[in-house]
Amino acid sequence: MNVLGIIATTGRFVGAEEVVLDSEGNVVTHSPWLPETPEIIWGGLASLIIFYALYKFGWPQMKKSFNARTERIQKELDAAAADKAAAATEAQGIRQAKGDIEAERGRIMAEAKAQAESILAEGRTRLVTEVAELEARSAAEIEASRGRVGDELRAEISRLSSAAVDHVVSGSLDDATQQELIENFIARVGAAQ
Amino acid sequence: MSDNRIEGYARALFEIARAEGTLDEVEDELFRFARSYESSDALRNALTDEQIPAAKRQAIVEDLLGGKATGTTTQLVSMVVGSGRGRDLPAIIDKLVARASSAKNLEVAEVRTAVPLTSDQQARLAAAIVNATGKQVNLKVVVDPSVIGGVVATVGDTVIDGSVRTRIDQLKSRL
Repeated sequence: MNVLGIIATTGRFVGAEEVVLDSEGNVVTHSPWLPETPEIIWGGLASLIIFYALYKFGWPQMKKSFNARTERIQKELDAAAADKAAAATEAQGIRQAKGDIEAERGRIMAEAKAQAESILAEGRTRLVTEVAELEARSAAEIEASRGRVGDELRAEISRLSSAAVDHVVSGSLDDATQQELIENFIARVGAAQ
Repeated sequence: MSDNRIEGYARALFEIARAEGTLDEVEDELFRFARSYESSDALRNALTDEQIPAAKRQAIVEDLLGGKATGTTTQLVSMVVGSGRGRDLPAIIDKLVARASSAKNLEVAEVRTAVPLTSDQQARLAAAIVNATGKQVNLKVVVDPSVIGGVVATVGDTVIDGSVRTRIDQLKSRL
């Protein structure tokens, strides 16, 4: 039973409801749809009191509760908005980072390509230089070998010539020639002053 | 050996030869022995080898010079070799010859030829050198086959080279 029922019942006892009989002695009851007048009065008063009490004591609590809930929901909405903004910022950052990564990737690729081309060019240049050096060295070695062989040949010719000169001169110097050389020397030194 | 010691030996040999009255002869023999010593590796090795006893080295000297040189020359060379100064023998002898020449106011003229010179040739050559250098000379003739032909005369720092050897060397250089 709710509070209104209790009050109505109480009113009924307090009001000492009067029993009405019809002409035939049957108990006449009031409308099944409408309560008794005192019940309406008492019920109305009770309802007013209840409503007042509810307004006086319950409403602030409810209002406070609603406000708290509203505030909480607002906070949640704010937090969600902040989270959304943060997420958007982060997404922006990620997109930017992705863009940066793409740019970095492009830069690295370009750099690697340039470096590879540089290495290739350098390698080609070095190869050409080395080939030229090898050719020059080979030419120099061939020239040196030619010169060396020529020198050795000249030395051998000189040695053989010297030996031949020694042999020929020594063999041709007979006693008369020796005496002639000595006399010539004496004459030459004697003539010198 | 130091110059002082060489000079000392030279002076001693000079004085001995002079005291014996055979200075000219000894000087000449020693000079020729020194040149032979210089040109012969075998002789040089034999007289300077410390492994050979001094007495044996002296015996070699006496075998070489005995009967071919005066006793004084043989004894002087033997003395130098016996004292272990064989290596300095040419320097000692050259100093002695220079000293002997100096004593006579002469300059040593070393003459190298491939064949021996006659006395007449030596006299004429000495006169020619005196004429060329303006110095009185003590002619020392060395027979040196390496000269091949002609004459090389050395007077002090002056060299008069008329040898076939030198001409051949010049020809070789050109070759």
